[in-house]
Amino acid sequence: MSLSRRSFLLTAGLLGAAGSSVLTACGSGGTGGAGDGTELAFWYWAGAISDTVVEDVAAATSGATITPSVIGGDFKQKLTTTLSAGQSVPDITGVKGEDIASFLTQADAFLDLNELGAKDIASTFSAAKYAAATTKEGKQIGLPIDLGPTATYYREDSFAAAGLPTDPAAAGEAVATWDGWFDAARKVKAATGAASVRNSTDIFAVALAQQPSTFVDADGTWAGESDAVKKSWDLAVQSHTDGVSGAVFDGTGYNQALAAGTIVGHVGPAWFGLDIASGAPDTSGKWRVTQCPDGPANIGGSFLTLTTTCRNPQVAFEYIKTLLSAENAAKSFTDASVFPATLAAYDLPALTAGQEFYGGQATIEVFGPAAQALPTVYDDPNNAAIAAPYYTELSNVEGGKDATAAWNDAVSAAKQIAQRAGVQ
Amino acid sequence: MTLTAPSGAAGPGAAAASAGRGRKKRLIRPARTGGSQQRLGPVYLAITPFFALFGVFVLVPVVFSIWLSFQKYSVLGGIGGSEFVGLRNFEFLVQDATFRRAIVNSLLIWVLGTFPMLAMALVVAAMINSVTKLKSFYRLAYFLPNVTSIVAVTLFFGALFSEQFGLINQALEGLGLSGVPWLTDPWAMKVVVATLITWQWCGYNAILYLAGMQAIPGEVYEAAALDGAGPVRQFWSITLPLLRPVVLFTTVISTITTLQTFTEPQVLFGSNTAVNPNSGGPGQGALTMVLYFYQQAFNNNDYGYGAAIAMGVFAVVLVFVVINFRLARTGDDR
Repeated sequence: MSLSRRSFLLTAGLLGAAGSSVLTACGSGGTGGAGDGTELAFWYWAGAISDTVVEDVAAATSGATITPSVIGGDFKQKLTTTLSAGQSVPDITGVKGEDIASFLTQADAFLDLNELGAKDIASTFSAAKYAAATTKEGKQIGLPIDLGPTATYYREDSFAAAGLPTDPAAAGEAVATWDGWFDAARKVKAATGAASVRNSTDIFAVALAQQPSTFVDADGTWAGESDAVKKSWDLAVQSHTDGVSGAVFDGTGYNQALAAGTIVGHVGPAWFGLDIASGAPDTSGKWRVTQCPDGPANIGGSFLTLTTTCRNPQVAFEYIKTLLSAENAAKSFTDASVFPATLAAYDLPALTAGQEFYGGQATIEVFGPAAQALPTVYDDPNNAAIAAPYYTELSNVEGGKDATAAWNDAVSAAKQIAQRAGVQ
Repeated sequence: MTLTAPSGAAGPGAAAASAGRGRKKRLIRPARTGGSQQRLGPVYLAITPFFALFGVFVLVPVVFSIWLSFQKYSVLGGIGGSEFVGLRNFEFLVQDATFRRAIVNSLLIWVLGTFPMLAMALVVAAMINSVTKLKSFYRLAYFLPNVTSIVAVTLFFGALFSEQFGLINQALEGLGLSGVPWLTDPWAMKVVVATLITWQWCGYNAILYLAGMQAIPGEVYEAAALDGAGPVRQFWSITLPLLRPVVLFTTVISTITTLQTFTEPQVLFGSNTAVNPNSGGPGQGALTMVLYFYQQAFNNNDYGYGAAIAMGVFAVVLVFVVINFRLARTGDDR
């Protein structure tokens, strides 16, 4: 508004001219499609996988020069834009777990890794996570990098104060079901006044992940009012009504609550441990993990894919295969806390060692079996958009809104989003 | 994106265009009397860059987004892969409770962020107008916020209003008051966004008012002073009535800008979770119309519906601009 129209347009024109020349420059290098190209561009985001592993394996790969780039900002948006523009498309790219379902509907943009030999190594990965990148027709568009097997996080001192067993195995029996977890959380609340989860949406997310399908059935029909969704919703609301939810929705507030000891537990994926550890380093040694109520589920975890325009599929496939070998996956775990989807990595010292933050507990004893037992679920491409109103309304419930009214509002808003997306 | 460009240019653009037309006439007439049509060549050449850029950066995106709003757009299928759905996107839009919430949020932010800001700008302008020393310094100081990066300023304000460690809550607690949950209470969130808008646009509007004030002839004030009018009476009876065109202009421009608030809520409440990005913070308290458009178009990749929302935003903004215009006009006729 402060610019005059003329100077604005002049600047825009100059930028536009500069931009288009840059685009053409990249475009000529970005798309080849030959099959024996000597240059490969690799896109991933910070923390997706160990940077050292990415660099080292790239240096050791012969046949093509691999140029890894860490892409900041909204990764999915940038990848989508590039794919639809068809210019400067990376040859190898990461895809986030929550986005894989929508990219499965655009499977034409990716190579079938089965044709490059993925079939032979399929059994080395978590079966449920591997299946999440398989289309209905059996095309494999990605190899899983990591997983988020869920577990119960608790503080040993809080469980002791509440008269609960503190040993992970015994505590696991106490929280083996949701009823058991709520019972334990209420005891912790009574004894210490502290909450056992960040907010109710965490419970919702875990309970949803345990369902074979959620908002949309595998045959594409609307299921936003199904028992699976309602049960998860009710558990989330219970965490609010029982007073065991911390009702904290912002990062700074959460770190503060962890440090002050007003939130002393969590139910969530393996990678969430890093959030707790970095949010409240002073609580190191007090935390433990044990099994997830009602059994493990998976939240998050990413993939490596090859695009259709990949200039050298053979070399690219060898590259991602090597990145995800047990040794390299274990290195990624050490460097970037990426919990491997490669099962053989669980036996390596990097993962079997006791962890200081958890008082020396070897957390792999909880996450390892959980990762092997993950249920295979149907994740509809529209789930992410349809889920949004439920999360919004749960935060409203924690703000004092009536739970029944919130449920009705969530369902009607979600139904509309589903209709718009073509779900019947 | 198509939103900001056309309406951002609409206010001053309209003025510039009419001014341009006037100038063109004056240039053309002497050319005709000279009898040579060839002299028009350089004139058209001179105005071509503007219209070429206008076409590429304004007209094409606007037409494209109108077309988009009638489509179910396929992200990777592109233009060929999308499907005509008639008015379906608009049917959804009128039934969309979230869009209604976004309209209400935007209107509240508009009220909170425009009228106190314009009143303050007027006071600031009157003060700058009356200082004798360092006038340029004050002008620059008040204008500076307007040319500062909104994202940087928003991050700074986010820290100021932070609930546990923020300067504002610490000051409140220091005074014995209780802290306000600035970033989680739906009302306080709107106040924060409105404060940011005020901070950024107050100086800009003050400069416009100042220019208007300096255009008022000194004799009018001298005459009023002779008649015994004090500074306050002079302000109400001379400055304000003579500033009416400027007030109209600033109100219209501020309405257009504020109803399209996006950056502030996007940065403050944008991506706190991966599952529900850009939902406008707790209780969707800061979900503005344009943020909702952005979320649907760029987070959910529903470009067709996003374009329909953009049309909805255009309609809402138009209604309020017309209302503003009418109100100020009536005052003029009196």
